Amino acid sequence: MNKSRGITLIAYGFLLPTLVLMGIFTFYPVIYGAYLAFTEYTSAYLGSGRAPTWVGLANFQKIFSDELFIIGIINSVKYLLVVPGLQLASLGVAVLVSRALPLMTFFRAAFYVPVITSMSLAAVMWDWVYNRDGLLNWVLEGLGLLQKSNAISWLGNENTALWAIMLVTFWRGFGYYMVLYLGGLQAIPSELEEAARLDGATPWQVFWKITVPIMRPTILLCSLLSTVSALRVLEDILVFRPDGGPLNSTYTALMYVYQKALGGSRFDYGVASAAGLVVAVIGFGLSYLNFRLTREDAPRRTVKA
Amino acid sequence: MKKRTLLALGLLGAVSVAALAQSGKQLEFWSWYLSPKFDPYLKSVIADFEKANPGVTVNLVDKQDNMVRDLQASIALGKAPDVVNLWQDSTASFAQDGLLTPVSDLTTNDVLNAQFWPNTIGIFNVGNKNYGYPWYGWTDQGVMAYNTELLKKAGLTQLPKTTSQLLQYSAIIKAKTGAYGWLPPIKDPNGASFLGQFFLEGLAIYDGNGKAAFNTVRHAALLAKFVRLMKDDVIPQDLLRKEAFQLNNELYSQGKSAFIVGGAQALVRVRDANKDIYAKTRITEAPLGSAGVQTGGSMSLVIPKAGKNQKEAAAFALFMTSNKYQVQFAKLAGIVPTTKGAEKDADLKAANPNDALDVATSMVAGTGRFINPGWAAPKNTDGVYKNFNDNIEAAFLGKKTAQQALNDAVAFWNTNAK
Repeated sequence: MNKSRGITLIAYGFLLPTLVLMGIFTFYPVIYGAYLAFTEYTSAYLGSGRAPTWVGLANFQKIFSDELFIIGIINSVKYLLVVPGLQLASLGVAVLVSRALPLMTFFRAAFYVPVITSMSLAAVMWDWVYNRDGLLNWVLEGLGLLQKSNAISWLGNENTALWAIMLVTFWRGFGYYMVLYLGGLQAIPSELEEAARLDGATPWQVFWKITVPIMRPTILLCSLLSTVSALRVLEDILVFRPDGGPLNSTYTALMYVYQKALGGSRFDYGVASAAGLVVAVIGFGLSYLNFRLTREDAPRRTVKA
Repeated sequence: MKKRTLLALGLLGAVSVAALAQSGKQLEFWSWYLSPKFDPYLKSVIADFEKANPGVTVNLVDKQDNMVRDLQASIALGKAPDVVNLWQDSTASFAQDGLLTPVSDLTTNDVLNAQFWPNTIGIFNVGNKNYGYPWYGWTDQGVMAYNTELLKKAGLTQLPKTTSQLLQYSAIIKAKTGAYGWLPPIKDPNGASFLGQFFLEGLAIYDGNGKAAFNTVRHAALLAKFVRLMKDDVIPQDLLRKEAFQLNNELYSQGKSAFIVGGAQALVRVRDANKDIYAKTRITEAPLGSAGVQTGGSMSLVIPKAGKNQKEAAAFALFMTSNKYQVQFAKLAGIVPTTKGAEKDADLKAANPNDALDVATSMVAGTGRFINPGWAAPKNTDGVYKNFNDNIEAAFLGKKTAQQALNDAVAFWNTNAK
């Protein structure tokens, strides 16, 4: 009894430094931010040293009647479309590069390079790709898919800008998730696959019937990470369209938070926190949905077994 | 355990450093985007100041992207710097929020008027009080640099004298060489650049009652003209996305644009980026709009109310912005001094009439008295300018007619600028 208590104490002792740091830098800001969402708090308050004033739900009324915020939410939700494609592609490629074929180490490393490329560098490169005289238009013209006179700047057109930036997010996240999936793939016993092959399964069937079900926990983790980061996308957009343009087509919910809190000089922390809270709630909702979707048929499988 | 000891030691260290700083009078000076290029200059001025004011030391910190955010945080945390380099809009909003000490509380008007051109002091006027010591300035038009080779290729033998000529020439250059001519500011990320085009053509921003009134037929015609130019690719569509000055510099240095209208500092970058193009560059007076005025601005040095050494801070701000040091800065960076006397300074005469930068520096150095901020920024600046820019963009992308866009912008402005 005594001994186990001692062990518990030691365990907490080890946890303490992290807990303290997280308390100060994560939990406290989250709670304080949630509180600020119900207050008026701007630079004028800061300047005169006044405490935030409680205003109830006024900030929420304000943001929901602000067209820009609604546009932001819609764009953020649109941005989520990157998640399924990104997950499927990185899982698929992980399966391919996990094979013991020549040059696979090279491919693994190559796919990972975008992850460690700095965003500003990537931005310069993609800027060249998307330019009116850029690589993308050049390739499309070369393939005869585009007339020179119809060439557009992909980041300057309201119908393409958000998708163009989504592709950059895809490119940047791809290698990261691929590595996570590679880790998961190592855990699949090779006998399973072999047995399926012997039973006459096609590679396609092996992928869907063996790999995907066993990888479920990894898929859950990755889609969760990917969903949350897509919903919170800001950096990728700021480097290309700091104004959220054209015509606010790349103005995301978090950009609204950023602009309200830090963008101008009014520093409307109350409104920004309210908007941030709404984004967080949506994030929670989506995470819950993620859990439900990936768990859905797990019980049925156990019954069958 | 070790981690905690380390943390404790760290805290102890931080406390003792803070205690040391308290003992002398130490000023903290925040510059904006000047490091590392101008570190030697700033440090030499600081050394002169410290020599002239024994017992006061100045700690230089260069802020870049996060200037406004950091300043705001430091004021909130009670660690405000003493002297800060801001610009027109940020000075106005910090002043509106009551975070700055009015200059007149620290320095007499006689001293101010003796040192600076009155138009430059007026830039930082908020509610009848001035909140900034004018520092280095610029004129948006300043001088015009042109690529002689591109002009020759386009068969142009004369130089444009007005903005509308400049645009005509730009169309010819685009047609004959494929390079752009002039890249006018249309929708820079900060501010509301298109208002500047109105101002230069003598079209009013406000009516007599201070209400926004830039939606007359003549305003709409000017906007429509620029929309057409962008549609014909005489001016690039990227102007809706990037700052005109940046884009112009990029393109000019690659031989893809023929003119740079602006201050001399742009030429520093051209010289560093492409020696060939720089050698083909010549300087002339900037073409102006039909109103014949120049817009421009200046940096300010402001004193946050929360700073602990107000008197010393004011002395340092005056020292840093004095004619002697602004002239030195003009030599180095091609800025426009906001001080009286710079226009007569022998140090600023062009030494080499064939060196573009030398000629430009000397031509613009005397233009401090023409710096004209144009129009007073509206209240709720962020929101109102965002809406203005959105409307301008909608006109350029063909979503609204020029007239409709301006009507919408004026309506929003007059409802929300409160």
